[in-house]
Amino acid sequence: MFGLYLHIPFCEKKCSYCDFYSIESTEHIQRFVETLKREIDLRAATYDGTAFTSVFFGGGTPSLLHPDEIMVITTLLRSHFVFSDDCEWTMECNPGTVTLERLEGYRRSGINRLSFGVQSFQPAELEFLDRIHNADQAAVSMHLARRAGFDNVNMDLMFAVPGQTIETLRDNLRRMIELQPDHISAYSLIYEHGTPLYADLLKGRVTPLPEEVDAEMYHLVISTLRQHGYHQYEVSNFARPGRECRHNLTYWHGEPYLSVGPSAHGFLGTTRYWNYRSLSAWTDHVMKGALPEANHEHLSASDLLTEHVFLHLRADGLRLAEVQRRFGLDVRQRLQPDLTYWIEAGFVNDHNDVLSLTAEGYRVCDEISSKAAARMAG
Amino acid sequence: MQNYRNFCIIAHIDHGKSTLADRLLERTGRVSAREMTMNQILDDNPLEQERGITIKLHAIQMDYAAKDGSSYKLNLIDTPGHVDFSYEVSRSLSACEGALLVVDATQGVEAQTISNLFMAIEQGLEIIPVINKIDLPSAVTTIESVKQQVMDLIGCKEDDMILASAKAGIGIDEILEAVVARVPPPKGDPKAPLRALIYDSVFDAYRGVIVYVRVIDGTMREKDKILFMATGQTYELDEVGVLYMQRQRTGELSAGNVGYFTAAIRKLQDSKVGDTVTLMSNPTTNPIEGFREVKPMVFSGIYPADSDDFEDLREALGKLSLNDSAITFEPESSSALGFGFRCGFLGLLHMEIVQERLEREFNQTIVTTVPNVRYQVVTTREEVLWVDNPAQLPNPTLINEILEPYIRAQIIAPSEYVGTIMKLCMDRRGTMMGQSYLSADRVDMTFELPLAEVVFDFYDKLKSNTRGYASLDYEYADYKPGQLVRMDILLNGEQVDALSSIVHRQKAHEWGKRLCSKLRELIPRQMFEVAIQAAIGSKIIARESISAMRKNVLAKCYGGDISRKRKLIEKQKEGKKRMKQVGKVEIPQEAFHAVLSLD
Repeated sequence: MFGLYLHIPFCEKKCSYCDFYSIESTEHIQRFVETLKREIDLRAATYDGTAFTSVFFGGGTPSLLHPDEIMVITTLLRSHFVFSDDCEWTMECNPGTVTLERLEGYRRSGINRLSFGVQSFQPAELEFLDRIHNADQAAVSMHLARRAGFDNVNMDLMFAVPGQTIETLRDNLRRMIELQPDHISAYSLIYEHGTPLYADLLKGRVTPLPEEVDAEMYHLVISTLRQHGYHQYEVSNFARPGRECRHNLTYWHGEPYLSVGPSAHGFLGTTRYWNYRSLSAWTDHVMKGALPEANHEHLSASDLLTEHVFLHLRADGLRLAEVQRRFGLDVRQRLQPDLTYWIEAGFVNDHNDVLSLTAEGYRVCDEISSKAAARMAG
Repeated sequence: MQNYRNFCIIAHIDHGKSTLADRLLERTGRVSAREMTMNQILDDNPLEQERGITIKLHAIQMDYAAKDGSSYKLNLIDTPGHVDFSYEVSRSLSACEGALLVVDATQGVEAQTISNLFMAIEQGLEIIPVINKIDLPSAVTTIESVKQQVMDLIGCKEDDMILASAKAGIGIDEILEAVVARVPPPKGDPKAPLRALIYDSVFDAYRGVIVYVRVIDGTMREKDKILFMATGQTYELDEVGVLYMQRQRTGELSAGNVGYFTAAIRKLQDSKVGDTVTLMSNPTTNPIEGFREVKPMVFSGIYPADSDDFEDLREALGKLSLNDSAITFEPESSSALGFGFRCGFLGLLHMEIVQERLEREFNQTIVTTVPNVRYQVVTTREEVLWVDNPAQLPNPTLINEILEPYIRAQIIAPSEYVGTIMKLCMDRRGTMMGQSYLSADRVDMTFELPLAEVVFDFYDKLKSNTRGYASLDYEYADYKPGQLVRMDILLNGEQVDALSSIVHRQKAHEWGKRLCSKLRELIPRQMFEVAIQAAIGSKIIARESISAMRKNVLAKCYGGDISRKRKLIEKQKEGKKRMKQVGKVEIPQEAFHAVLSLD
């Protein structure tokens, strides 16, 4: 697997909780597209011909780009790179910014998967999250996406939002399931450092929901989605069979990905790089013909092991044979005696030589991951 | 020999001993005023300086031209200022003929001073009382009563006391003159068989052990073959000299003088404080009295935080014991902590010093268990066992009797605190042995207390309950039987051996309750509920529980999150590695020390 990520750093309005890099002024979009094309040219210079299996337009709000702009970008990509026949092409969209015409345009440019940041169907919750769309627009967007020919659509859902109750979450889940998305990403709200939401938290203007409520909501999300045929394959990700997001699995399986755009992180085997998290710094470098990398890190064998362990546990499980082959370690032996406790208590499944988290296990994933990482490191 | 004067300074912590010593050195030209800017030369261990106490003994020889026109060699022998080291104090007093008794004009006499003073009087030392810090404004109101205390204590006249301020340089000449005039010159026969008293020794990486001695009779010269009478070890003298600011080689040392020697001695344990050095060729038949083996009184487990570091810790303890002959260590193992050592210390301060030195000087990250005393256990088959690890106490059905060490504690405090102190000591199973008034408002109380009750926080309690006014000194008394039981701690039903303790039966319930609730605070929430129980045998006497964590996972982890997340996991991973695990339960290292911070 080989992924390609493109970061589109524009939003009409920034959401208070979001820590992805984006700016609210859209007048730079045209120049940005030109610069992005230059970075693609630069990256293509060292391309070794490996076929990409997924492409992801993330943001920001990629749907602020006109279909013609997306078309220019995808055309350029195809001229430089090879893509597998079944390549997944995802684009994130704000439910408030799409029309049938635009969606059809994206489809024509090769996009075959959409991801809508729906988050909630409750006006109060949407307002708290600074979302610019309303509850009805989610349904409209889904309708338009299907009409435009998209048969692979994700919707994002947020829970543990202050003010949210089990009842409103239940309602959100019901309404989202009614729209029949192929994939649902359901996130417990994170108070990320540096966001306006975090500042509010520090000032005492918002109070996070208690851990017990968060846990109860998470349980409700998992059990409801499971009942409706969405199986969990990562802490926050649920899919109909065969509709798992291939691009995100690339991250979680430690496979390589190339990235372009400001703040984007790429990973090529044992090196991870990240571009400048500033539109102007990124632009300046690219326009001078330099790779716009702010920094990079070489992952040591122990870093790779730690990442392998926690990413696979977060996602669809540690494959014992793979760990043995890549790191020469016997997972079952390393994780004793805890593995037995975890299995007995129903946190971990040991099935077909894959150790994967149960719904209960996902709830305490970070605890299990850090313990497993410590035990694996010996 | 007539021109030698060997003396020491007896003073309570903070009463100005080190400053006075510095001043004497400065006045006799041993150090320049410029060197004095790095104050308090005698305390050369950073730990000593930090704590404002002197742990190790040192000596310095000064040349002094007295008013009588003669020149004298004054050997100032420093003494440690803490009760853990009272044996060393007694040996360094034996090397002297006189002592300066330094009392703070604003504070009065303290317990430590009194016990050292009585030791000095018993050994026949000439006492020169010095009232220090007379320039402090508050001394105006206190000095008369302090003078009276000192006169009552040693039966001297007012004129015998020297009023001084070491800080301001007042009374320094008077002190030096008094040392010359009042401290008797040493007696001894340079021609007699060698008798030299070891009052200290330190380990030097290049020369081996440097032994500090007072020569009583005879003469030692380089190349002489010597015998340590208590240990039976023999060596050939390499270097002999006296102690100025640095060691100064003189080639010989004879009766009446104080100095050092080296003899390629590899182990500090070979040159025991209090032992007599004599010559192989002409040995004395009369070793100096007062030698005894120093025995550890307080024990604690010391374990490497990371069990892979066991060998490193062994090496560190080995090196540390090169210059600390009092520490003992034996390998032991614990189901909770893995492999480590049971270490013996002279007392609590000594234990703290060793633990800090291991961490600072030897870069060891260690886990220490709660300290305990050494119990004497008489089995039903009348065997006598010594138990210095509570986990090793035999099954109660096999025990006839358990004896524990007692101390005789002397506490001096303003009389308004008598009630408070009595209560504290009674709570700690103490018995009052005597009480006398040093002055109308200052009382001297003596108690017998089980050492185990003093090991935790007794001194802190005493200080805080008396607003810092009480002072404590103690000596080891004997072993007495007690109603003692072993209390175990169980986590989710599994006994944690390193948390077992031996407690008095009547205190067990209270102790168990407090320990359980302390552990509840210290043990973080885990994936499973944790039941904490205190038990005596199979009987549960206290319990607490820690509910399971409800949620611990961050929802988002995409391409740009992975590095950050990995670093977080690495950090948590290191935290996990520092935890000790018993069954399912992870125990933070500080929990093994929990009892020390009860309340």
